Amino acid sequence: MRDVAIVSFAQVRGDPESGVPEVLMLVPIVNEVIEKSGVPRREIGFTCSGSADYLTGMPFAFVQTLGATGAWPPISESHVEMDGAWALYEAWVRLQHGDVDTALVFASGRPSMGNLDEVLTLQLDPYTLMPLWPELKHLAALQAQAVLEATGRTEKDLVEIAVRARREAAANPYAEVSGEFEAADLLSQPYVASPLRAHDCAPASDGAAALVLVAGDLARELCDRPVWIRGIDHRVDSQYPGLRDLSKAPSAKLAAEQAGADRGPIEVAEVTSLYTHEEILLREAFGLGDEVRVNPSGGPLAFNPTMVTGLIRIGEAFLQVQERKCTRALAHASSGPCLQQNLVCVLEGE
Amino acid sequence: MAEPVRFMQQMVSLEYKFRASPTLLEYGEALAEGRIAGHRCPECGLVYVPPAGFCTICVVPTNTAEHGVDVADRGIITSFTVVDPIQYRGQKETEVYVLASILLDGASGTIGQQRIAEVPPDDVNMGMRVAAVWLPKDERKGFDPRGGLGGAIRHWKPTGEPAATLEDFAEHII
Repeated sequence: MRDVAIVSFAQVRGDPESGVPEVLMLVPIVNEVIEKSGVPRREIGFTCSGSADYLTGMPFAFVQTLGATGAWPPISESHVEMDGAWALYEAWVRLQHGDVDTALVFASGRPSMGNLDEVLTLQLDPYTLMPLWPELKHLAALQAQAVLEATGRTEKDLVEIAVRARREAAANPYAEVSGEFEAADLLSQPYVASPLRAHDCAPASDGAAALVLVAGDLARELCDRPVWIRGIDHRVDSQYPGLRDLSKAPSAKLAAEQAGADRGPIEVAEVTSLYTHEEILLREAFGLGDEVRVNPSGGPLAFNPTMVTGLIRIGEAFLQVQERKCTRALAHASSGPCLQQNLVCVLEGE
Repeated sequence: MAEPVRFMQQMVSLEYKFRASPTLLEYGEALAEGRIAGHRCPECGLVYVPPAGFCTICVVPTNTAEHGVDVADRGIITSFTVVDPIQYRGQKETEVYVLASILLDGASGTIGQQRIAEVPPDDVNMGMRVAAVWLPKDERKGFDPRGGLGGAIRHWKPTGEPAATLEDFAEHII
């Protein structure tokens, strides 16, 4: 495998009331990551983006965001109707071909334009599940109950995860939810979907993120501390939640194994835990002990732009390594209900 | 014994809330006043109509206060199509009509899907010079979420001037 490094990353939180078009959320951060990368814009070999047209309700909405790349002369480009973490995966595969050395990856999402609960329901099996209109949080609550029963944990364990995430998020300038909270106060709130309360659920944020990948020696030339992608893999479980043991996330475990997460100690993990219990599941799936710091950014419970949050996990893990807070980090993205599809990316500094 | 279920109907609708960008609102205000207003890129000088709020070549943000520029309400047909409307359900058009891309004088790119009228469809040509026929001021709805002109301009008609030569618009034919 060809060595590929992340050399720059930027993110932005959108203001739902501002009317700023998605492409204009992207313009400053795409400019920023290109400038920081040291790669001239015209020399970027491949561009891949992630988003979902259903969020804005416009066919080919993603084409408009390409304006942020300055696509003249014409560029080599692709798009995934998925979280930007999968766009990064495609770009990483593209760089394995060996004929181009640099790639731009970006993602954007504005769930505030529609009803995210309804939009996400449409991804379910259309014959027997979707017609019941279960929202993502209802299915998540089933999984939360299964996790609590299987592990002997309680809602108090869940609230501790939320309290910690909000505390960590105080240092994250992009956080939508942050600060000091008392567990008892949060537990006195009503259920959103038992056993989940509001603090257990990630907000639906508007936002965007971008990063630049550079392969091999060029990364060392351009960057004092390239952060290498040492392994990346994604796996998927059955689309139908009723066919799974919801107390486990087998595809997350497999993706981590295939990405070589266990070939060395993981110091920091940024995981897409859209609900507090998912952090418990993912810690177990990845074999992360209590010594591993999970979501020092506050994670999706603090800032969760739909279709972007997985790419941000990779970006936050990149920052941890680049800023020498650790040398080996794991980043995780998910898609579908109840951690159905999972991507794991292992990052290392030199 | 009950009939086995062979079909089921599942009606789905999604609602969206569109929030207009300041740039698009300003563009609509200008249209309501009878002006077609674009943005000029401070780096390459290209004039965008409707303005996107940035230059898609230089990737430099633009705004109406600093980069606003009016273009003419007349220009050149760079390409066109004659539509013979099929009478599908919901079709409102009954007669043959012409839609064209127009390169406005002072703009760097064409505006598409513009209605050409006051001329037989067979007489429409690439290079034909046309001018806007504005709706009366009190009938104009300037703002359109897609940045269209239809709320303010009824259609475009030939000016009778000599046609433009191919060199004047060759770069703009799609």
